[in-house]
Amino acid sequence: MSTVSNKDNRTGLSSKGLNSGSVGLLGAVVIGVSCIAPAYTLTAALGPTVAEVGVQLPAIFLVGFIPMILVALGYRELNNAMPDAGTSFTWATRAFGPWIGWMGGWGLIAATIIVLSNLAAVAVDFFYLMLAQLTGNPSLADLTLNLPLNIATTLVFVALACWVSYRGMETTKAVQYVLVGFQLLVLGWFAIAAFAHVAGGTAFDATAISPEWFNPFAVESFSAFAAGVSLSIFVYWGWDVTLTMNEETKDPERTPGRAATLTVLVIVVIYITVALATLSYAGVGDGELGAGNEDNQGSIFAVLAGPVMGPFAILMSLTVLSSSAASLQSTFVSPARTLLAMGHYKALPSSYSKISPTFKSPSYATIAAAVAASGFYVVTRIVSENALYDTITALGLMICFYYGITALACVWYFRAVALSSPRAFLLKFLAPLVGGAILLVMFFKTASDSMDPSYGSGSSIGGVGLVFVLGLGVILLGAVLMLVMYRVNPAFFRGETLRKGVASR
Amino acid sequence: MRYIVGYTADERGKDAVSLAIALARRQDAELHLVMVMPESSPFNAVYPPERGYEDILSVQLQEWLAEGLALVPDDVTAKAHVISAESQAEGLIHAAETSGAELIVIGASSRGLRRRFSVGSVAGTLLHASPVPVALAPQGYRRLDPITRLTCAVGTRAGADDVIYVAVDSAGRRQLALRLVSLVALDPAPSDETDASAVERAHDHANTRLAEAAGSLAAGGRVSVEVAQGSSVEEAVESLTWDEGEILLVGSSRLAQHSRLFLGATANKMLRALTVPMVVVPRSHTPSTEPREVL
Repeated sequence: MSTVSNKDNRTGLSSKGLNSGSVGLLGAVVIGVSCIAPAYTLTAALGPTVAEVGVQLPAIFLVGFIPMILVALGYRELNNAMPDAGTSFTWATRAFGPWIGWMGGWGLIAATIIVLSNLAAVAVDFFYLMLAQLTGNPSLADLTLNLPLNIATTLVFVALACWVSYRGMETTKAVQYVLVGFQLLVLGWFAIAAFAHVAGGTAFDATAISPEWFNPFAVESFSAFAAGVSLSIFVYWGWDVTLTMNEETKDPERTPGRAATLTVLVIVVIYITVALATLSYAGVGDGELGAGNEDNQGSIFAVLAGPVMGPFAILMSLTVLSSSAASLQSTFVSPARTLLAMGHYKALPSSYSKISPTFKSPSYATIAAAVAASGFYVVTRIVSENALYDTITALGLMICFYYGITALACVWYFRAVALSSPRAFLLKFLAPLVGGAILLVMFFKTASDSMDPSYGSGSSIGGVGLVFVLGLGVILLGAVLMLVMYRVNPAFFRGETLRKGVASR
Repeated sequence: MRYIVGYTADERGKDAVSLAIALARRQDAELHLVMVMPESSPFNAVYPPERGYEDILSVQLQEWLAEGLALVPDDVTAKAHVISAESQAEGLIHAAETSGAELIVIGASSRGLRRRFSVGSVAGTLLHASPVPVALAPQGYRRLDPITRLTCAVGTRAGADDVIYVAVDSAGRRQLALRLVSLVALDPAPSDETDASAVERAHDHANTRLAEAAGSLAAGGRVSVEVAQGSSVEEAVESLTWDEGEILLVGSSRLAQHSRLFLGATANKMLRALTVPMVVVPRSHTPSTEPREVL
């Protein structure tokens, strides 16, 4: 407890979290898995990844982890050296100055805004699917195809999550354990049931597992490889939370490393198992249930859970719905805090730095995030033939962009100490350099490929692929807003609020 | 004496500070403005992870507390604290327990356009869990002058000794007039006999209390008794006249657990019609064996 009195001018500091030291190894793994939200990422990303790399899905899921871990190591170094609510924004500004820093922050915000709109949309699909399964009336599941109703329901979900986040309500430990346990259980059930169908000869398109599925070099083209990797970055997005945990853990020396290892083992096992199960059950053809059928790729479990799990498919709906809803609420915190930090450093109008006196949450920034996520969803839904598919591809692009900038910011910020020790060389220089380079190569390759109007779900605007328009449009919008902000209040861009710097130790 | 003031940087917070000043004046009570820093659980799984929000929030809370302290005039001692807790109510109760404070003062609500009182979620939680009395400032309360009169609501059933004890003690020390009020909600379709006897019983009850109260009041204390009646508790409350500087004391419900508050149905109804601050006093297991100044 800190104290100031009206009789003197001393300022006190707040006592910091009573929560410190409360998370053990299992808890840290639960937090890691919960941030990844495997049931949601699989249903959203499995289809688009199959579309890019076909049966090499398991290979890409394995390869995709490499840039993720390389960048995450750099993220951890930055997080320890400069703990700040602005994360990528602050670090890139410190390393490269205000312009690149601003765009790095914008990339992070854009990625979280896009994932918010996708989370809400996936939750809505499974909400109607679950209603259909509960009532035994399949026509209810088709309500999600009704454009106005779908948009309205999604906006309600976004608004609810915004409200919960604004009020500072949180998911409790017990709920998180149940959600994570339930996800792993249902995904395991799905995989076993799919293999049982294959063994029993009742699979839709039984396909024999082949070692070639694990060979990343068997992917047709570099374009497909790049697109696959940027999608699989998305499926691991969230894993690095375990690495950044420190004071929260009971044993800060060992728990984060062990938890990160254990989490990735759990996730890789579940991803590979579900990927193999899906491919061997449904094949990659474009038949009714095929994983290669574009209509199935936006949300694969919505299509396959019924035939694979029979009456228990409702459990899949429940787990995807509950984990998307929990992620929706916790993901709201992130763009709101980055926006708040940008407002705080005058990189955005000061209204973004407002804090609610009642709930002590970023008030203006949380609502701004909700408005942006809603707007993004409405536009995508209206112009795209397959909004979920295209948003996930655009999201992969955006994660590569801001993660790439963050990794290179790490390299540049620590440049003076890169050779001070083997550990520093590896964690502050080599790993983030390679990881960042891979991600930026994937970003530019995927961005240029996505100009093709047949890219992604095949939606296009003015002869240019929709994914390109969405991804680059968002980045361009950021650049324009940055210039406007420079005209309105140049303090940040003159380095008056956040200075460029370099680590000296 | 120490009063914990649940401060928030809005109108509701100002209501609370005003009432705390009014209660503390001439009582040599010390105000402790408390702001609660919401404690974030790692299990909320926020991603991407960051570690700077608490710092920004902390600076903001210090600024707000400085504004809060500036509201307090020089003749009242005030200190300010930031406390980490999962919720506002939990933080205030913790502050009261660790500092040995006698009272928690909060603003009832910033909303509720028509009524002066609408119990917000913080007040709601406090009124069901606080181990010490809770003072609720009505919306827009800005009076800083000392309290001018005490009214104590006397229930018609036994078990209200604690609140009367507090009222008598406080009125004695503050040398204020004490009014004992018994509220009678009459049946809308009355059968005259029952009503008459209800009013009579209420008078008897209030008079008994009056005798007890007068007996225990120091010389110079003035005690009056009133029976308020109306077709509902709200109407009964509205039929009373209130001084501007008056406060109402009520006891917590018999449903309350040992030493915890619980706002009963009657008190809840009174709150809706009330225009002056209200102090809810918890029932303690062993009343008046441990005499201490509360208000």
